[in-house]
Amino acid sequence: MFLNLDRRKEDELVGVDSSDAVLTVGELNEEKMKLSSLLSARSIVFILCNNTVGALAAYLNTVRLDAVPVMLSSKTDKQLLNNLYEVYQPAYVWCPDGNDRFFSDASMVYQAKGYQLYRTSNALYDIHPSLELLMTTSGSTGSPKLVRYKKGNLEANAKNVALAFGWTAEERPLCDLAMNYTMGLNVVNTHIYAGATVYLTNENIMSAPYWDYIKKYQLTNLTQVPFGYELMLKLRFTRMDLPYLTTLSQGGGKLTDKTFETLADYAGKTGKRFIATFGTTETAARMTLLDPALAKEKIGSIGRAIPEGMLMLLDDNGNEITAADTEGELVYSGPNVTMGYAVCRTDLEKGDEFCGTYHTGDIAVRDADGCYYIVGRKSRFLKMLGYRVSLDQIERLVKDQFRIEVACTGSDDHMLVFITEDTRKDDILSFVSEKTGFYRSLFEVKVISEIPKNDTGKIMYKNLI
Amino acid sequence: MNNLEKYNEIFTRLFSVEESELNEDFTFATVDKWDSLLHMTLISELEDTFDIMLDTEDILHFGGYVNGKTILKKYDISFED
Repeated sequence: MFLNLDRRKEDELVGVDSSDAVLTVGELNEEKMKLSSLLSARSIVFILCNNTVGALAAYLNTVRLDAVPVMLSSKTDKQLLNNLYEVYQPAYVWCPDGNDRFFSDASMVYQAKGYQLYRTSNALYDIHPSLELLMTTSGSTGSPKLVRYKKGNLEANAKNVALAFGWTAEERPLCDLAMNYTMGLNVVNTHIYAGATVYLTNENIMSAPYWDYIKKYQLTNLTQVPFGYELMLKLRFTRMDLPYLTTLSQGGGKLTDKTFETLADYAGKTGKRFIATFGTTETAARMTLLDPALAKEKIGSIGRAIPEGMLMLLDDNGNEITAADTEGELVYSGPNVTMGYAVCRTDLEKGDEFCGTYHTGDIAVRDADGCYYIVGRKSRFLKMLGYRVSLDQIERLVKDQFRIEVACTGSDDHMLVFITEDTRKDDILSFVSEKTGFYRSLFEVKVISEIPKNDTGKIMYKNLI
Repeated sequence: MNNLEKYNEIFTRLFSVEESELNEDFTFATVDKWDSLLHMTLISELEDTFDIMLDTEDILHFGGYVNGKTILKKYDISFED
């Protein structure tokens, strides 16, 4: 059984979307029955997601029929999609109506609620029996790297996060984060697990229809990444009349302390809950959350581990740190830890490499009350607009494209790209903006005389100014 | 610079377009580049340049180049051609 769906009545709503389309439990079950003879178990299935009930049904039934979805955006860059298609050779592709141009060798076998299922010319191949779902880690930076979810990951995180939040069947959550993004999928899963209806939308937060949708359905829960909250504050949403809203939740990167405090204050004054959380794709979304009663007191904290999860801090030698307020790498153990990564087809035969424990690469401290705070990062990636962007990956892409020396550093809202040739500055800015799908103002290309390197030829990032 | 020149300068710079491209069809819906981040940047620049503070409803409905001028007129910003 998946997300308690089999326990629900046929006429209950699983999802609604902003075109007012609905998906009932009965419709979902009927589709599952039809698909059982069309969609082979243990096959790889690309799902080109948008936030509609069609995509929701495609995702839920693909998992329920024991096939393995690769969750991708319907807006995935064509080149990246072709690359992923070549690498993973999916037997099936779900895509929105009219979005089938990529798969000329495929034939449509099913169509419902704005989504089409295609059988491609690729043969099925052996995959690990525990493999449940595959998710990208890095937005759209062109990497074919996927995280391998094992059976039980989605269910465990849905259960424990729903429990920690105290979700009931009465929740009316806004699901505007993409379903192919780990936090977006978690919002969907936790609420379906609790027996609630999810309210999906592709509308933009800076547009009137987005807020009209919240008001129309009197939505109770919002989940945003830090960038989303910055936009909401810019809109001065704290002055909006949102009486039905009860919970504001955050994930996908660190809020500034100022924004954190503003949200905690707003929640305190209006009788709502502000809940900061911390998650990664590798842990099938969330690992921690901060008790909303502590939000005003512990600005910037990610709180404590969710039920069934365990956190610890390790020093450079891999020993556990027991003292309070001491920096170490944040390590998480729990049933939502995934199996590992895949970069090619044969990796899908691999078993569990994480074995229930994930080293986050984030440096954190724990206070005397057992609440954790992220203070920095061990590894070289940024979290831009909630997506993890590998600095090394961007360097490789620029190097491959322009055949020049390059070094990338920066912060989550400002990536610095250092080069030594003035002439390519604007081309490179356009290129990194295009490849990541993020607006140009998030990047700055700087021209320096030489990329600083040590004796062994490694770039000394600390010397880049 | 007069108000129209200031207004146009912000658009041409943020969207990297020529002034001749700014017309009825230059809207949130039709311009790919016009995403939420750019929208926020645009609003901030307009607020700073004209020393105003837009209401939430006006930020949400600031959906195009032409329509934007109508909204700014509410804040006593006039555009003499």
